[in-house]
Amino acid sequence: MIADFEYFAPKTVKEALSLLSQYKEAKIIAGGQSLLVVLKQRLFSPEYLIDIKGISALDYINYEEGKGLRIGALTPHRTIEKSPVIQKYFPVLSEMENNIATIQTRNWGTIGGNICHGDPAGDPAPVFIALKAKLKLASLGGERVIDMQEFSKDYLEVALDPGEMLSEIQIPKPAPHTGTAHDKLMVMKGDMGIIGAAVSIVLDSKGKCEDARIVLSNAASVPLRAGKAEKKLIGKVLNDALLAEAGELASAEADPPADVHGSAEYRREMVKVFVRRAAAKALERARAA
Amino acid sequence: MAETKSEVFGNFSILGKAIPRVDARAKVTGEAKYAADYEFADMLWGQIKRSPYPHARILNIDTSKAERLPGVKAVTTGKDFGGFKWGWSGPTRDEEPLAVEKVRYLYEGVAAVAAVDEDTANEACDLIEVEYEPLPGVFDVLEAMKPGAPLVHENRPGNICVEYHWNFGDVDKAFAESYLVREDTFQTPRMAKGYLEPPAVVSYWPDSNHVVYIGAKGSPYFPYRLLSRCFNLPLSNVRIITPIIGSDFGGTKNDMTPADYSAVMLAKKTGRPVKIVTSQYDVLTTDLRRHPMWLTVKTGVTKDGILKATYLKAVADGGAYTRMSPLTMMLTGCLTTLPYKLPNYKYDCYNYFTNNPSSAAMRGHGLYHSRFAADVQLDMIAEELGLDPVEIRMKNAIENPEPGKVYTAVNDVHVATCGVQECIEKVAEAVNWKARKGKKKVEGSKAYGMGFAAATYNSGTKLSAHNACAAIIRVCEDGSVNYLTGATDVGQGSDTIMCAIAAEVLGIGLEDIDLKRVDTAFTPVDPGSYGSRVTVLAGQAARNAALDVKQQLLEVAAQQFGVKPEDVEIKNKQVFVKSNPTRNMSWERLVRTACYDTPGKVIIGRGYSTQGISLLGLADFSKGVGDIGTNYSFTAEANEVEVDTETGVVKCTDNSVIAHDCGFPLNTQAVESQVQGGAYHQGIAAAIYEEFKMDSGQTLNANLIDYKRPRAYEAPMTQVIHVLTNDPYGPFGAKEASEGSCCSAPPAIVNAIYNATGVWIKDLPTQPEKVFWALKAKKEEKKGRKKK
Repeated sequence: MIADFEYFAPKTVKEALSLLSQYKEAKIIAGGQSLLVVLKQRLFSPEYLIDIKGISALDYINYEEGKGLRIGALTPHRTIEKSPVIQKYFPVLSEMENNIATIQTRNWGTIGGNICHGDPAGDPAPVFIALKAKLKLASLGGERVIDMQEFSKDYLEVALDPGEMLSEIQIPKPAPHTGTAHDKLMVMKGDMGIIGAAVSIVLDSKGKCEDARIVLSNAASVPLRAGKAEKKLIGKVLNDALLAEAGELASAEADPPADVHGSAEYRREMVKVFVRRAAAKALERARAA
Repeated sequence: MAETKSEVFGNFSILGKAIPRVDARAKVTGEAKYAADYEFADMLWGQIKRSPYPHARILNIDTSKAERLPGVKAVTTGKDFGGFKWGWSGPTRDEEPLAVEKVRYLYEGVAAVAAVDEDTANEACDLIEVEYEPLPGVFDVLEAMKPGAPLVHENRPGNICVEYHWNFGDVDKAFAESYLVREDTFQTPRMAKGYLEPPAVVSYWPDSNHVVYIGAKGSPYFPYRLLSRCFNLPLSNVRIITPIIGSDFGGTKNDMTPADYSAVMLAKKTGRPVKIVTSQYDVLTTDLRRHPMWLTVKTGVTKDGILKATYLKAVADGGAYTRMSPLTMMLTGCLTTLPYKLPNYKYDCYNYFTNNPSSAAMRGHGLYHSRFAADVQLDMIAEELGLDPVEIRMKNAIENPEPGKVYTAVNDVHVATCGVQECIEKVAEAVNWKARKGKKKVEGSKAYGMGFAAATYNSGTKLSAHNACAAIIRVCEDGSVNYLTGATDVGQGSDTIMCAIAAEVLGIGLEDIDLKRVDTAFTPVDPGSYGSRVTVLAGQAARNAALDVKQQLLEVAAQQFGVKPEDVEIKNKQVFVKSNPTRNMSWERLVRTACYDTPGKVIIGRGYSTQGISLLGLADFSKGVGDIGTNYSFTAEANEVEVDTETGVVKCTDNSVIAHDCGFPLNTQAVESQVQGGAYHQGIAAAIYEEFKMDSGQTLNANLIDYKRPRAYEAPMTQVIHVLTNDPYGPFGAKEASEGSCCSAPPAIVNAIYNATGVWIKDLPTQPEKVFWALKAKKEEKKGRKKK
């Protein structure tokens, strides 16, 4: 079972940050839905565990017309899924959350914990990247804001400096005529996607694709932006054939793992399908917006 | 969702309708005590030290550091057991409680520790130093059968664990005479049993000559006999107490684990109670699994689709130890001659030892493999002949014998009642099979199809000379009743059925009966809960014991009324003269009179089952002839699937019907919920989802995230239709419920996938990638054909 560790449960961000600066080797635990699995398997045995789940100040969802959406790092998945504001302005987030694990896991697991775990199979990171999200990172020295896309470094590795923690996810208000969608290959509802795709499409006033973001999960060691596939779409009036071509390009860009759920070859095939499916839904939404 | 309405069958007070479970309240309130819930003063925690190699010689075990760890009270190794070996039967005793010379699968137990708490026990295990000489291993049957392959057991050449060669009729002649002969190879995977309660045990020795064992065992008289031999105690001194069991599904909770023996040994060494609770990880890496099997079926038919002959060759991965493999191979072969008439039949099987965890019984034991292969092939044959799947099944299905007559299969299997034709007809009608014919349903990337299958299962399974179940009924002086059973309810609802049968016979209420679960110090011996045997055989014991009590009480009543005992009846707790019901007294009054009228009686009834041994003798494993069952259940099933043709993901829709001939449904609710939960659901699991993936003896998906077990979302409810045949060899006409219907789901699903997409998946489970490549290959084949 889990190896012994020293446990801290700060109640404020400040307290958490001073503990982090004091114990450089400490690991943060939020909802623990990913971390506990790793600890139980003894893949990782931290000496100090700082449990930030009790910092209620980081559990919030705010939306302002000008600023966009702000989600506190310790907001549970289930809160995001059920938030009327999110369902109204960012339905893709609610849909994505609905397919994460089980209700029990979503009730306890936090959005920040998910992002900081750095699992390339996770769903939130690709969707946030598609939504051009930024992350606010706090340390005793102050705060900095970075693009979500810069956050993932490698498999289970993120760009948190020692003494630093994630405090907020910031999502800008999307441009007019933006549609975003997420889809993933599940054998059973709630599965980690064998392959997942988040696609965001912005149309200009004439209906041409002005901007596109295509982000894959479980297709590389980090959430993968399929740049060539995006370029294929930008500047064109989109149709099914173009979306399928984008899928083909994304598939060539992917470097997916092989595991008990599927070979790398199968995953590459599935990138084609899910990019096309998510893009089609995103396009439909962009046209309706 | 298909609604199953509550039906009433027969003319009974209690039986033949929905009976509430006697254990429901305790389970839902949390009062029910499972093995892991038992706590005793001074109790120690045990833990097993496991091998990091799948195949290695043990050179030395140094326990000194562990023994010196404060809090450690005892350490044991295999040597403490003095050469004791055990197995499923005398000739197959090839396993030690803890490995002594060699480990044969990954995480096999090599030592065990008892300490003041779980943490200390874990730490002590880490301190045990074991020196191994790793050996090359064999991890699949192809490796195991190669000449010169490493031997799992040095005394078992060729790694052969079991082989049978049976031949009935003349298959070669029949093939020569057949209009069409097909040969196909199918594959079934390694599966987890699926109990959510991991095995747990608490043991203590009240004195140096008596042992008490409280463990999650579905067949408590297995440890009763094994612990007696292991610890050299008379059976009278071995006390097995059976707590509530959190399901079983065959295998581990029948058989022993290293933890069972170790807990008893550590309790003996320390003089204190020792508890060992197996973790879910240990369950998923070391517990018994369903055999992975490769089945080659060759079948010959006439132009009209009448079966002429089948040759079945089965090759199985038995894992590290023999365990129940001889029975698995018997069951895989012996009932291929049901539920269709088959005049010629040949069976060759080979079960190999490998350095994988042992394989063993699992729901639908044996038949699951062969019925899957044969019933999918039947659809392939039907297609080649241009016959409808329902039509070809109806043509070949065994007819229900006239009352008093028996159908005899070519390998001497005797069937007194067979409702398979009625099952097929009712399912075809319920799903409107005829109307579906030829209609393709495709919506975008989703293709829909429906598949059909039929199956059978042996009930009241008879394995060895001792097959009898028994019951003792004690009537208390206030009219309440104790029912002492040797049978164990592992979740299937047998406690409820035993109480219901006794109450029905005695004319009292279900609530008047208090059932005592197995405590071998007091309850009668019983073979165990396996092979769908409990309701049929323990049910007969219940009936006989209740009749014994009733006779004793009727004699007292007759005296009171001044009539003969046969003139008196008991119903709804009223005792009355049949010819004049106004002459009556209450049940309580009768019991009180019997107990208190000088000199006073002690009303104890006893009964045991006779049908299991008296009918037609035992099956012969080496020849494959004879009756493994007391009687046989029959099933037909239709399932609709949705196939995503772009991804290969297969899902069940809620359009599914199972008709089940369990003879007579004693408890309609239990039959329905078993057919839904324990047959349909598990069948879907076997067909679409579940498989242990292995690499060199290591289980790669030993968790319930990566090992896919369907939930209600994936396997919606099925509609259940009762088919009644009133079997003369079961209590009140009953046969087994739902093991047969566990075997019909996989072929029905695979046939449905074919119906939807035109591809045959011969290798279970039908996971997305397999289906995807098959669909792709078919598309390319089509393109190729068009080009030509």
